[in-house]
Amino acid sequence: MHELSIAMSIADAAAEEALRYDGTRVSAVFLRLGDLSGVVKDALLFSWEASCEGTPLAGARLVIEETRGKDLQVSGLEIEDL
Amino acid sequence: MTASTRIVEVRRNVLKANDEIARELRERFERAGVCVISLVSSPGSGKTAFLERTLTILRDRGARVAALVGDLATDNDAQRLARSGAPVKQIVTGTTCHLDASMVRNALEGWEPESFDFLFIENVGNLVCPASYDLGERARLVLLSVTEGEDKPLKYPSIFNSADVAVITKADLAEAVAFDTAAVLRNVETVRPGMEVRLVSARSGEGMEAMAGWLLAITGIPKPSAPAL
Repeated sequence: MHELSIAMSIADAAAEEALRYDGTRVSAVFLRLGDLSGVVKDALLFSWEASCEGTPLAGARLVIEETRGKDLQVSGLEIEDL
Repeated sequence: MTASTRIVEVRRNVLKANDEIARELRERFERAGVCVISLVSSPGSGKTAFLERTLTILRDRGARVAALVGDLATDNDAQRLARSGAPVKQIVTGTTCHLDASMVRNALEGWEPESFDFLFIENVGNLVCPASYDLGERARLVLLSVTEGEDKPLKYPSIFNSADVAVITKADLAEAVAFDTAAVLRNVETVRPGMEVRLVSARSGEGMEAMAGWLLAITGIPKPSAPAL
């Protein structure tokens, strides 16, 4: 059950990418999740909210696109102007 | 969606931080001329017994060997492995169910990789989480004991896909548990076509010399004198 540490890595990665868009907040994170990534979608969603608490990602949704292979990639961000 | 909301495309590997450290480690190991082999399996499949015997055989053949061993708690495995006479360090992960590249990097402090021919990394016993983490190793062995049943590769395809060689352990018990070798070979082939499979027993010694021979072959020991870079 390493989904909590994976969820925290997703939040870190998304927060770092979001730095490029000044004056915005992230409202959703899009993730490509491969069937061979070793990461379970439900467990990841379960860990997501707790991982974002107290970070700039707080309140953001996690939108998972299930793919084939080893994908574990943040593919997009939904951002809102503050 | 309001007018002020937009979607931006990014391509960002979630485990980028781990992968970058793993890449640095791999480059460092290559420069140092040390062959790094990691072991993954479920708990109790015999990683430590396999490693203890392998360390002893390789030392007897003149190779300089060392091991890092990960567990949630205790240094029992490190104590067992130290009996082989090889330098051993325990990585206690606390509640973390896998090793990551930064744990390996930290554990290496105080060691000169140049002084070893082989460095073994025994992961935490777990067939799920370690699959996601590159440790910078040259080859990953996934161990599966005959007492676990033939369908492990089908149940845990990710870990078999992340590994280079499947090692079936406790071969001395195969008959007692009516282990079907042909079935396990079929199952490995299903999840990872072409994967090398070896059958060993750390207890009886079956297949262990051949396994050590395979390890020595991939490193090319005795080493030819390396050309100056």
